[in-house]
Amino acid sequence: MLPLEHLHLKHVLQTVGVLEAVILRSFGPEGGQVLFTRDTGQAMLSRSGTRILRALHLEHPLARMVVECVWKHSTVTGDGSKTFILLLASLLRMIHTTASKEPHVSHSYNSLEAAEATTARHLADKLLAFALKELDDLIAMEVAPYGCSVSWEDFTAKTQSAAHTNNHYVQKLLASFFHTRLGYVHCDFVSELTCELLNRWKFTNGLPSFALQFLNDNFPALHTPVSGFPISSSRLIEGQVIHRDFATPCPQTDHQPIKAVVVTEDLQPKLLHTGDVLEVGFGVTEERSIVHFSAWTERSLECVIANLKSLGVSVVLSAVKQSAAVLALATQAEMCFVECVSEDELSVFAQLSGARPTSDCWRIEPEHIATLTFCRPILLGAHRYVHMTFYDSEERVMAKPCSLIICGPGEGQTDQYACAIRDAILMLLTTWEPMRASTTTASKRTLQSPKCTSSFTDNLTDSTKYPSFNLHPLHKCVLQPGCMIPAGGTFEFLLNHALQQHRRSCSDSNDANIGVPVSQLLANALLSVPQQIYSHSPRRFLHTRTRVMSFVSNRFDLVYKQEHKASHMQSEGPLEDGIVSLHCCKKDDMPSKVIMLDLGLESVSCKYQLLLAVLQCVKSLLRLDTVLHTQTALHKQSQRLVGTSWESTEDEAEE
Amino acid sequence: MALNGDDEDFEWEPPTEAEMKVIQARRERQDKISKLMGDYLLKGYKMLGECCDVCGTILLQDRQQKNYCVSCQELDSDIDKDNPALNAQAALSQVRERQLAAQSPAPSQAPELNGGPSSSQPSVSVPQPRPEHCEGAAAGGRGLLPPPAVPSPSAAPSTAALAPARPAVSPQSPALRPVLQEAEEAVLTKLRWATTQLQGSASLEASIQLCSLITSCANSLRSLKELSQ
Repeated sequence: MLPLEHLHLKHVLQTVGVLEAVILRSFGPEGGQVLFTRDTGQAMLSRSGTRILRALHLEHPLARMVVECVWKHSTVTGDGSKTFILLLASLLRMIHTTASKEPHVSHSYNSLEAAEATTARHLADKLLAFALKELDDLIAMEVAPYGCSVSWEDFTAKTQSAAHTNNHYVQKLLASFFHTRLGYVHCDFVSELTCELLNRWKFTNGLPSFALQFLNDNFPALHTPVSGFPISSSRLIEGQVIHRDFATPCPQTDHQPIKAVVVTEDLQPKLLHTGDVLEVGFGVTEERSIVHFSAWTERSLECVIANLKSLGVSVVLSAVKQSAAVLALATQAEMCFVECVSEDELSVFAQLSGARPTSDCWRIEPEHIATLTFCRPILLGAHRYVHMTFYDSEERVMAKPCSLIICGPGEGQTDQYACAIRDAILMLLTTWEPMRASTTTASKRTLQSPKCTSSFTDNLTDSTKYPSFNLHPLHKCVLQPGCMIPAGGTFEFLLNHALQQHRRSCSDSNDANIGVPVSQLLANALLSVPQQIYSHSPRRFLHTRTRVMSFVSNRFDLVYKQEHKASHMQSEGPLEDGIVSLHCCKKDDMPSKVIMLDLGLESVSCKYQLLLAVLQCVKSLLRLDTVLHTQTALHKQSQRLVGTSWESTEDEAEE
Repeated sequence: MALNGDDEDFEWEPPTEAEMKVIQARRERQDKISKLMGDYLLKGYKMLGECCDVCGTILLQDRQQKNYCVSCQELDSDIDKDNPALNAQAALSQVRERQLAAQSPAPSQAPELNGGPSSSQPSVSVPQPRPEHCEGAAAGGRGLLPPPAVPSPSAAPSTAALAPARPAVSPQSPALRPVLQEAEEAVLTKLRWATTQLQGSASLEASIQLCSLITSCANSLRSLKELSQ
């Protein structure tokens, strides 16, 4: 019988508490950095929660599970891993407190702990159900109006006037992200660099997610880390940088355009394989030997090179290492060869130039030939790379491709900057991802909107003046993509307020008794994040909270005035998706937002995704019941978790 | 033991003051444990999948494959602080309780607790035994009642310059004087030896060490002189 270990709620709490203690000192804009060193002397500097957690040695299965959840979340949103752990810890503590107060008495349990565990599980399920059902409405109605919505077209528009303020918002968003990741010294510079990078990468079909996705997928090929220089030497250069040097001397060519071909196989055909037997000089009158055979293969190679030359190709990018004979012939023919180019760089080259790679050197079609403006070596730091720009042609998909050179004093810091920029791109991708509103939720919203906005009408002096933009049945609360809100805990304060109001308005519903504290629980747990941000100064916590709450109470006046002016416009008919109302709020909130921009900006959809991810992690953590200790041949002892149902382990003990 | 829900309802009552304190202390202890464990993880320790048998905390393992339990080996134990044999404060509170119990029937029996040194002087007030006494006693693993002045001369001759615990009452019993004199003589001999060594020493390190020896001898002499006053 395999040794068993029962998991209690306190084990979960302890594990998550330990992880919280690990990341707590790096949390927030004033958080510190963690320096990891290996015995080999390699150092890694990081403030990213994911990197810190993944660098720890953890064998406890619960801890590994939590770190896995954090990692998966950050591969989607790029940010919020430390906030994840903080929220997780505070939610678990609240659930534990609530569960120990009111254990389920309807069933018989073996011990108080089992009763507590069941209550905790139920609470977690209810929390998740509540979040999936109602949270996006609450956010769209109560939190998003206090932010601003920046559309991608405005951000990348060529005209400066309209785009200026939007550019400014995106830059502010990036600056606050980099502030928490890199420190306040370089955050502005890096955010400007990233904005410039995003502005240059524009695809002809114009979808923001496409450009950002392309940047994210091909980021290793599109950036060059150079250590030994200050960060301020980082810049953008046109075209693409291949991280390899020329294998043959590159002659200076003046004539343009340069033609290039990508080959994926060795140009010298492999005629002989291992195990083959070559019969030489058998049954023929002439004396033949192996020398004749190799001379014949070289002549065929000369034909290949001559073929390439006749097509006008002067640069060949090869995915594999070419043989010495090929290189010698290429040098004679004055062709440049670049060997061992990595797969992702070749795929980027193919996408940017429109030329497909070929494996058969005998059949080179025009579609395999790329046109370049120039192709020359570039010296970056201690390495020499190949730098090329693409010839402008109509059928190409990209306007002006560029590559990023990231400089840093040491390797660890350069790596930190590169990871930060990559995570920033992921964060922007999440910000501009449109929220999926399914038809069922939309219809539910129409029914619920009168109920949820009842709190609005309670505070209104004159409900008839409000032309039902809140109470209209066709009003759809959809979270706008690109919605940003001031950072520093504003989201948590607003959502906390909204949840408490929601609880008051729904307190007369026939939910079970445990349904009511669910929103209260979430509201209380949310406050732990700003408490931690302002942990060194509780006065600032109260100050910020008062500021945010004052905007909430003043909102009705602002909206009322706007509505009053434009009441004739809105009294008739339904509004288109409530966007106009949001824009009204945006215009009026401008002066108030200008005041609060000193806190920086953060993305609302990232926060929403974070909340959902945390609640799902809580649910799966509380479902765990038992740990089975198994033994495999490799490790002396490894563990596996099972859920509440008994499952057979896949790796049986091999003793 | 299966609890039937119908018969015994879990009626939650708010915890009393004492229970609140216990809960608060326990929570603080858990926070301290988490913080310590977090620090160790950042130092490169490995978090194992096992729990300590004694206290149930998750075990850590260092680079030398040695297991380490933070709460057992580092923090003061939760229950040990109530054990009078191991903790001075607990011993002190036990003494006070006994005094309170003994005060109403026989107040004259109370001064006996002070032991030998006060026997020469009739003490009207009952001076409370100071914690230093008890710590000295507890550190030696001895019981509570032996006279507190006895450990002090044995500590004086050591070069570790530990100022011995001053007894609450000043007059010394005559039996102690020869002991003190012997101690003084031993320290003086060492001082003389160190001085001669210092005069003849040629190396820097040796001179520094000899000077520190002389300093500690002087400190011991000073404490002995204070004791004999």
